[in-house]
Amino acid sequence: MKMRASHLTVRYGAKVAIKDVSIDIHANQVLALIGPSGCGKSTFLRSLNRMNDTVPGVSVTGQVQLDGEPIYGPEVDAVLVRRRVGMVFQKSNPFPKSIFENVAYGLRVGGLRERGAVADRVEQALRHAALWDEVKDRLHESGLGLSGGQQQRLCIARALAVEPEVLLMDEPASALDPIATAKVEELVSDLRDQLTIVIVTHNMQQAARVSQRTGFFYMGKLVEVGETTQIFTRPKERETEDYITGRFG
Amino acid sequence: MLSTLGFRTTAVLALAFAFAACNKSSPTPSDTQASSSAATQASGGNITINGAGSSFVYPLLSRWSADYQKVSPTVQINYQSVGSGAGIRQVIAHTVQFGATDGPMTDDQLKEAGAPVLHIPLVMGAIVPTYNLPELPHAIRFTSDALTHIFLGDVKTWNDPKIASANPDLKLPSTPVVVVHRSDGSGSTYIWADYLAKVSPEWKTKVGVATSLNWPVGIGGKGNEGVAGTVRQTPGAIGYVELTYALQNKLPLGEIKNAAGSFIAPTIESVTAAAAGALATLPDDLRYSITNSPGDKAWPASGTTWAIVYQNMPAGPERKSLVSFLRWTLQDGQKACAPLSYAPLPAELVEKAAAKLDLLEPAKK
Amino acid sequence: MAAVHTGSIATTPTTARRHSLQRRGPPALRGWITLDPLFRKVCAAFGLSIVSLLGFVVYELLRGSSASLARFGASFVFDRIWDPVAEKFGAATFVYGTAVTSVIALLIAVPLGIGIAIFLVEMAPRAVREVAGFLVELLAAIPSIVYGLWGLFVLAPIVRDGLAPVLRTTLGFLPLFTGPSYGLGMLTAGLILAVMVLPFIAAVSRDVLSAVPQMQREGSLALGATKWETIWHVVLPYGRAGISGAVILALGRALGETMAVTMVIGNSPQIVASLFAPGYTMSSVIANEYSEASGQLYLSSLTELGLLLFVVTFAVNGVARLLIWRMSRGAEGSRA
Ligand SMILES: Nc1ncnc2c1ncn2[C@@H]1O[C@H](COP(=O)(O)OP(=O)(O)O)[C@@H](O)[C@H]1O
Ligand SMILES: [Mg+2]
Repeated sequence: MKMRASHLTVRYGAKVAIKDVSIDIHANQVLALIGPSGCGKSTFLRSLNRMNDTVPGVSVTGQVQLDGEPIYGPEVDAVLVRRRVGMVFQKSNPFPKSIFENVAYGLRVGGLRERGAVADRVEQALRHAALWDEVKDRLHESGLGLSGGQQQRLCIARALAVEPEVLLMDEPASALDPIATAKVEELVSDLRDQLTIVIVTHNMQQAARVSQRTGFFYMGKLVEVGETTQIFTRPKERETEDYITGRFG
Repeated sequence: MLSTLGFRTTAVLALAFAFAACNKSSPTPSDTQASSSAATQASGGNITINGAGSSFVYPLLSRWSADYQKVSPTVQINYQSVGSGAGIRQVIAHTVQFGATDGPMTDDQLKEAGAPVLHIPLVMGAIVPTYNLPELPHAIRFTSDALTHIFLGDVKTWNDPKIASANPDLKLPSTPVVVVHRSDGSGSTYIWADYLAKVSPEWKTKVGVATSLNWPVGIGGKGNEGVAGTVRQTPGAIGYVELTYALQNKLPLGEIKNAAGSFIAPTIESVTAAAAGALATLPDDLRYSITNSPGDKAWPASGTTWAIVYQNMPAGPERKSLVSFLRWTLQDGQKACAPLSYAPLPAELVEKAAAKLDLLEPAKK
Repeated sequence: MAAVHTGSIATTPTTARRHSLQRRGPPALRGWITLDPLFRKVCAAFGLSIVSLLGFVVYELLRGSSASLARFGASFVFDRIWDPVAEKFGAATFVYGTAVTSVIALLIAVPLGIGIAIFLVEMAPRAVREVAGFLVELLAAIPSIVYGLWGLFVLAPIVRDGLAPVLRTTLGFLPLFTGPSYGLGMLTAGLILAVMVLPFIAAVSRDVLSAVPQMQREGSLALGATKWETIWHVVLPYGRAGISGAVILALGRALGETMAVTMVIGNSPQIVASLFAPGYTMSSVIANEYSEASGQLYLSSLTELGLLLFVVTFAVNGVARLLIWRMSRGAEGSRA
């Protein structure tokens, strides 16, 4: 087991966004999180790498463990947590820097200075993200010049470059066309060997295709979590069934 | 259809108004003659006289113009305090009927003017040294030699013999002397430099006389308040300001040894005395300088503010009103001087000034 | 809308006319369409009028300074003597004073202003942010005479008795910090200018930083960057063009500021290394001497100073615009 959330409750001011969520995240698996809009999927994901710390007025109770170590606590450095738990966002957000610098960024802030090593890791990450062949001749052009799908894969490459143990992906393909979406999905399946992935998705086919386990969120609560095949064929809860059969959401 | 009708209605209304307005303003043939003779009596029958120039005389002129309004309610005096140089330029450009200047027009400026310009003394002013030293039992006495060398930058400390020798009873400190002068072009600078040039050939050749100078030493403050403020802020500073400003703000002032050899405190009387002392030598055109005046009680750094008017100003109600106003300032107006800390003209000078006005409009007897 | 449409169809039975109508838009809009070329002409006229106004200003400045240009030529810019009595005029001391005070102002105000902006946007709690933001904007609204008086009566003594002695003992090996200080001088003028341009830099930078998308910050944090690394490597570079704009605005104000500088710079035309010494700026000497200037050449030389100031300001703006343009193009990359 890679990560474990126990009795996690997150509030934005007085508003409770997720309530008492406990879930295990298994190593080298893809966990898909599904549920209707506003049910707290992003909030939960962002509490796994302490990204919620940046939101003013947020409060987190309960605990999240990474390899058995708590990530919330006075001694924990959120920056170190984020180096191990990377994140890719719904909307691609490359920096207004060159393609190379986008990928090298995490390496540099992580302390890697040696030029050869940086270049090697950048290439490796771009290959992992299946972007290398498309950009290898234009590494020093702006990352903003890429197409939407390429930008999202650049962001994935950027996250992979720092070699995180866990990768959090918040609807990474929701803004992409079908071909680009397929590429991202393929990527997710391939990456499973090296790391643990938690992916939020709106698209149930996508969840079924890429994940081993699926969790269903509804109104801030984790209704059900289990093997993906089980969730989609024999859901235990009524609400899950209503959702996956398209009765709401 | 409806909109066309609407348009017609408004057009008719507008025409009606236009007619009404015309009826009111257009004169019948019989009044035409009468109204044209009072052409300058615009709005309400008032005559407006515009003047511009010296900022030194501005407070007094404002007072005069307010007081004169009571004497002669139909005449309005507008005065813009733009500086003497700009006042002269505006007179030459004929944008004002009179100017006021703290220094007489130069020969070049008169040539540029193209026609004779009258100089009519209005009031006296003086420039006085003020300084910043810790409490002294009485005012510092400056010889002209000491002042010149202070402002030339040769006297560097307050206990320099050039200062100390005239003040045997004062314990002057060794504080460095910091010279403060006007940074803006100013009649004050002109009078101060004119005085120094008269007592020091070195000043005359090295620095000269003008409203702005290439100062050998010192820091510049803008306006009297800039100089006074800088002096107040800077230990060991010495600067020069107008007497009116100094008296109103109760600044510490130095005495100066005058041409007659006596140390004189700057007062309104000693300024008037400077003009009286120089009467014998005044030039006909009254473009005089009364710095370093020979009078016994004369303040040596004294000056005058002149009104300047084209001698060939066309006759008419404007000229008449301007001359009456100027005549009034020479008589009743002089009484307003002292309360505002300006020095009035001596009686003999008033006569000479009035004689210049006679060249414009003969006095009614 | 529907009523208008059916109406227009009813009155235009043939398809040909319907086509022609469609090209010209629905009847209700036709008035606008005929106005369009007129509107364009009016806009062009406004645009041209700005250009011609500028041309007129340049022409007037050139005409006014023709006597001085003819007499002194290029040496006007390099000559240090400004002597109204001898009618010898050179601008070097004023150019120097303007440059030195503006540089001091920017050296202080740029880091401070950006620092304030960073504090307000990235760190301060909302209440502090609003109050401090209001205060910063208030600073910009203070008239320059007030800054001048404050400089003369408050700042000058502090410089003379506090700052200058400290600088002399610590950095006195540099010629910049030697000699006596009377409180009034280039350093004080530079400091006043710094205070005056600070609100511009802080307020504009704050707006620029606020406009940096939160996603940029989160993207950086998610890669294990610290808050400072994020600010330094992502937020500031993202806002670089806007912040440069703020700095140029500030420089423009520093170059042209007259009243406050005149009150604290000491108005002494000289080029000396020490920043404690009094100096003089182009705008100050024009303001000081123009109204009393007599004589063709004197006036003409003052006008040429104005021309010089105009050219410098214009050049600074041009260079800055070019910089910003290149930067923003660099950020967008070669999309084309
Ligand atoms: N920064 C925030 N401040 C306040 N409320 C928020 C914030 N982010 C999300 N929420 C609220 O928390 C709830 C869960 O949101 P989110 O986690 O974004 O849902 P999901 O990703 O499942 O659509 C929603 O009701 C949303 O309005
Ligand atoms: Mg979401």
